[in-house]
Amino acid sequence: MRRFRFRSLLVWGGLLLFTTGFFLRGQDGNTPWQFAARVQVLPALLRWGATILFFAGTALLAGRFYCSLLCPLGLFQEAVHGLGGRALPGYRPCRILRYLVLAAAILSMAAGSLGLLNLLDPFATFGRGVTQILKPLLVAVNNVPASISGEPSPILHHLPAAPVTASAFLWTSLFFLALAAWAITRGRPFCDTLCPVGTFLGLFSSSPLLSVRFDTNACSGCGRCERVCPTGCLSSGEMRIERDRCILCLSCLGACKTGALRLGMPSAGEGLQRRGLIRTVLGAAAALAFSGIQSRVEISARSEALPLAVLPVSPPGSGSHDHFRRKCIACSSCVSACPAGIIRPTLSAWGASGLFQPRLDYRYGYCQYECNTCTGTCPTGAIEPLSVEAKQRVQIGRARFDSNACIVVKRGTACGACAEHCPTQAAHMVPYRDGLSIPEVDCALCIGCGACQFACPALPKAMTVEGLRHHGTAKRPEDAGEGAVFDPIEEFPF
Amino acid sequence: MNRREFLKKGLALTVGAGALALPGNLGKGLGVAVAAPADLAAVKGGETPEMFDRGLAALGGIGRFVSKGQTVVVKPNIAWDVEEELGANTNPALVARIVRRCLEAGASKVLVFDHTCDLWKRSYAKSGIEEAATRAGAKVVPADQAEAYRKAVIRGAKVLKETRVHELILQSDVFINVPILKSHGGAGLTIAMKNLMGIVWDRGEMHSRGLHPCIADLSLLRKPDLNVVDAYRVMTRSGPRGTSAKDVTIRKAQILSADIVAADAAAAKIFGTEPGSIGYIRQASELKVGTMDLERLRIERISL
Repeated sequence: MRRFRFRSLLVWGGLLLFTTGFFLRGQDGNTPWQFAARVQVLPALLRWGATILFFAGTALLAGRFYCSLLCPLGLFQEAVHGLGGRALPGYRPCRILRYLVLAAAILSMAAGSLGLLNLLDPFATFGRGVTQILKPLLVAVNNVPASISGEPSPILHHLPAAPVTASAFLWTSLFFLALAAWAITRGRPFCDTLCPVGTFLGLFSSSPLLSVRFDTNACSGCGRCERVCPTGCLSSGEMRIERDRCILCLSCLGACKTGALRLGMPSAGEGLQRRGLIRTVLGAAAALAFSGIQSRVEISARSEALPLAVLPVSPPGSGSHDHFRRKCIACSSCVSACPAGIIRPTLSAWGASGLFQPRLDYRYGYCQYECNTCTGTCPTGAIEPLSVEAKQRVQIGRARFDSNACIVVKRGTACGACAEHCPTQAAHMVPYRDGLSIPEVDCALCIGCGACQFACPALPKAMTVEGLRHHGTAKRPEDAGEGAVFDPIEEFPF
Repeated sequence: MNRREFLKKGLALTVGAGALALPGNLGKGLGVAVAAPADLAAVKGGETPEMFDRGLAALGGIGRFVSKGQTVVVKPNIAWDVEEELGANTNPALVARIVRRCLEAGASKVLVFDHTCDLWKRSYAKSGIEEAATRAGAKVVPADQAEAYRKAVIRGAKVLKETRVHELILQSDVFINVPILKSHGGAGLTIAMKNLMGIVWDRGEMHSRGLHPCIADLSLLRKPDLNVVDAYRVMTRSGPRGTSAKDVTIRKAQILSADIVAADAAAAKIFGTEPGSIGYIRQASELKVGTMDLERLRIERISL
C-alpha cells in the first residue's frame, strides 16, 4: 500500500513538473526544471542523434523505466486511471501494430516528414495538451474573478487569450478524450500500441539486467498484481512478465502480499532467449536508422514547396525553414512561452510533413525587440538559443510596403504607425507631398519582427512581412552603441 | 532673494490672500506659499524631481491640483520596452515624485497606467516606472484589456466624435499627464496631447482617420488638470521608439502647465520646432482647447 501511494505521488509530482516547469513557465532554457524536457527521447534524438544509443543502453540495463518516470504522457494516463479508481482488466496489445507504427515513423522521418511523429510522440502530444487545452482553461479560471474584481490590478489581472488555433485544438481535444477514455478503463495501452518511443525502448527491454521477477515458489496466484498493472504486462496465472512492455512502475510489488515479486538481477541460468535477441538486433537497426537519418537531416536541405502564397515566418533561432521543419515536433513549448502570444500552431503552413508546427502570426501582435524567450525553450534544437543582442540582428522575415494601400496615399492624412513601432527604423518616414511623410523600408535594417504589419491601421495592410527561407543578419542601426549627446538648454526659447 | 523678487512675492501674497477670501476658492492653496500662480512653468538645469518641485511651486503648489481624499490618475508615457536612458519613456524618478506629492496632498489613491505599444509587463518593468511609482505609493495597473475602456463622446470634436477611453481617466478626480518630449515619425513631435493616445483603446482608428485632427479632438475629452512635460532626455530623431541612446540629447528641461496646448507649444520650442508647424497643436488651438500663443501667458522661467 505504501508503494502505491509513493507511485501516485510520483505520477502527480511528475505531471506538475512537466506542466508548470516546462510548458506553462518555459521562460529560461537553463533552469533545472527543463532537465526533464531535455532527456526526452525524441527531442534528445533530434538534438544529438547519438543519444538514441544512450537510451537504448538504459533500456538494456533497466528496461522501460523511462516510460514510468520521464514520459509526461505516460504519467498523465496513469493519473487519469488513478482518478477512475478501477481495477485493470489486463490488456493484450496488437504487437504487429506497434512495430508497423515504429517502422512508419522511421520511414516517414527518412522521407523528411515529422508528421507521424508529431501526431504520436508522447512529449509533443502532452505539450499540445497543456497549451491548447489546459492553458486556455487556466486563463478562463483566472479571468472570471479578474473581471469581477473591478479596478484593474497587476495581481489579479485579465490574462490574454491563450494562443489556441482551431486545428490544433480540435485534434488535441479528440486525442485526449480518446486517450483518457482508454486510460481510465485499461491503463496505458497507448504505450504498447501507438507510442513509437515505447515500442523503440521495448525492443531493448526483453531481458534487461534489472527487472521485476517472479518467485514461482512464493506466488499464491491471487492475481492482485495483475489488477494494478497499468500496462497489463503481467500474468499471475502463467507467472510471467512481458518485459518489453513492463515500465518498472513497481505497482505490482506493492500489491503482492506474499513477496513473490522482486526487483532484481537475473538469477543464474536465465539467459537471453532467441526472441529477445532478435528484438535487440531489430532495435539496434532502428536506433542506427534514427541517428543516421537525423545526422543526414543536418546535411541535406531539400525544400518542399509550401502551400501558402506568402512564406510563413519561423521563430528567431531556427536559422532556416528547412532546419525548423526537420526539427520541430510541435510540442508547443515555444507557443506557450511567447509573451506576445504570436507563436501559434498551424495545421499545414509548413506543409503536410510539418503537422502543427508553429509560425509567427502577426495578426495577434509582433515579435518583441527586447525578448528572446522562445529561443531558450526548444527541447529539440529547432530553435537554437540566441542572446537578446544576437536576436535583435536576426532577419526572420522582410517587410514589404504597398504604397497604394497606405493611409497617407489613400486619404492624404498623416499616419506613421509603422515607423513608430519599427525598432530598427528600417521602416521610417520620408517626405511625401503637402507636408506629409510616407513610409519607406530599408531591407538591410529590417528584421521581420512584424511590428509594422501589426501597427498598420490600413485594411488591407500596407505593411506586410514575409518569412525568409534562410534567416539573415541585419545591418546594425547607425551609431548604435554610442551614448547620448549632452547639450542642456542654456536659454528658454520663449 | 533679491529685492525685486521680494517685492514680487509680497505683491503676490497680497493678491493671493485676497483671492483666498473669495468664496469658491476657500481652502484651496492653504498652507502653501501663495504666489500668483503662473500659467506655465519652464524649468531647466536640474534633475527631474527637483525641477518638478520648483515648477509646481510656481504653479501654486500641489494643493492647487489635488485636495484631500481625491483619486488621482497619473499617465506617463510607458509605451516601449526600453531603459530610461533611451528616452522613449517618461523619467521614472519624475513619475515617483509626482506620486509622492499627490499622496502628501492627501490623495486617497494614486493610479498609474499607460496603454503600451510593446507588451505592458515588459514595458512597465524595463522603463523603471512600475518600480519607482509603486515604491512612491502608487498603484500601477495594466491597461491592456478592452473591457477597461468605455465609449466616450467627445463634444466639439470634428473627426473623432467618440472613442473608447480608459475608465480610470473618466472616473478619477484628478488627471495628471506626464509625457516625454520626443520626435515622432508620424506626428512630428509627441508631447502632452499625443501622450493621450495612451488613454484610448483603438489607436489605429486615430491613425486611419487622420492623426492630427484626431489628436486635437481627443484633447477636448478630458483636459488634464496638470501636464508635466519631461524634456530631460529628448529623443531628437528616430522617434517615438528610437534605436539607440545616440538618438537622445540630454536637455535637462521640464514644462508644467494646466494648459495642454501651451505645454505642447513650449516643449515644441525647446525641441526647436515652431508649434504652429505641428498640425495637432495648431488645430487644438483653433478648437480653443488652450493657447499656443506663449506671449499671452504668465510664464515662470526657473533655472537651477
